[in-house]
Amino acid sequence: MRLRELRPSFMLDHHFTRRHLADYLDGELESPARERLEHHAELCPKCRRMVATLLRTLEGLRGLRGQSALAGSHSVSDSVIARLREDT
Amino acid sequence: MDRAAGGDREAFEELVRRHADHLYAVVLRFTGDPSEAEEVVQEAFLRAWRSIGRFEGRSQFFTWLCRIGLNEAKRGGTGRPAPEALSVEEGALERTADLRQAPEPHAEHRDLRLALERAVRALPEGYRAPLILRDVEGLSTGQAAEILGLSEAAFKSRLHRARLVVRDAIDGYLSGDGR
Repeated sequence: MRLRELRPSFMLDHHFTRRHLADYLDGELESPARERLEHHAELCPKCRRMVATLLRTLEGLRGLRGQSALAGSHSVSDSVIARLREDT
Repeated sequence: MDRAAGGDREAFEELVRRHADHLYAVVLRFTGDPSEAEEVVQEAFLRAWRSIGRFEGRSQFFTWLCRIGLNEAKRGGTGRPAPEALSVEEGALERTADLRQAPEPHAEHRDLRLALERAVRALPEGYRAPLILRDVEGLSTGQAAEILGLSEAAFKSRLHRARLVVRDAIDGYLSGDGR
């Protein structure tokens, strides 16, 4: 463990980062809290990796949108409208 | 919307054209079966049409519709009993992380996508739903929480735990990140 990781302020920032990570990922962490988290992530390898891998995960999840769900499929609105007309 | 709420079927059909494919995409992620998802979407719109007079406009139409659709999906679309839709069974989330797999040395983008699909599918439903609505389908936190009948705080907590589990499950594909 490096010296800086033993400093109380480092550990305070570490806990702060973990506590506010979800808001950070959703873009809901305002300045200066955002800068505090980003500064800590630059110094702390564990947090840096945590932030980077979660951002990558979110990017991948967003990339799933519409990919397998509708690929090669027809629009379902025609069958819904046909069913509505049958029903009424 | 007002015309549809007043019983104008043509106006309601316009809402179908606008929202059916999006609802289908969401439902398909829950059922995993295209024909079942289509049936669920049909049933959801039928229910919405029959009760459109009760739609008060306090939420967006898609939020209301999605809630009907997911309830229908939980019932299996064919009237079978509903499972515990938002169950958060003890230990179930932790078991999801056991899906962790090491990628082939030259794993490509498609492999990551498949690993993500697998990890999402393996989540317990109470965690999968927030993740799908927010991170995959891009709904707002408020909208997604309302669809699932959760407070925003409870929703955010489940979402964050789900993200961590999915991240762990695909960790082998992310080995270069943050180093």
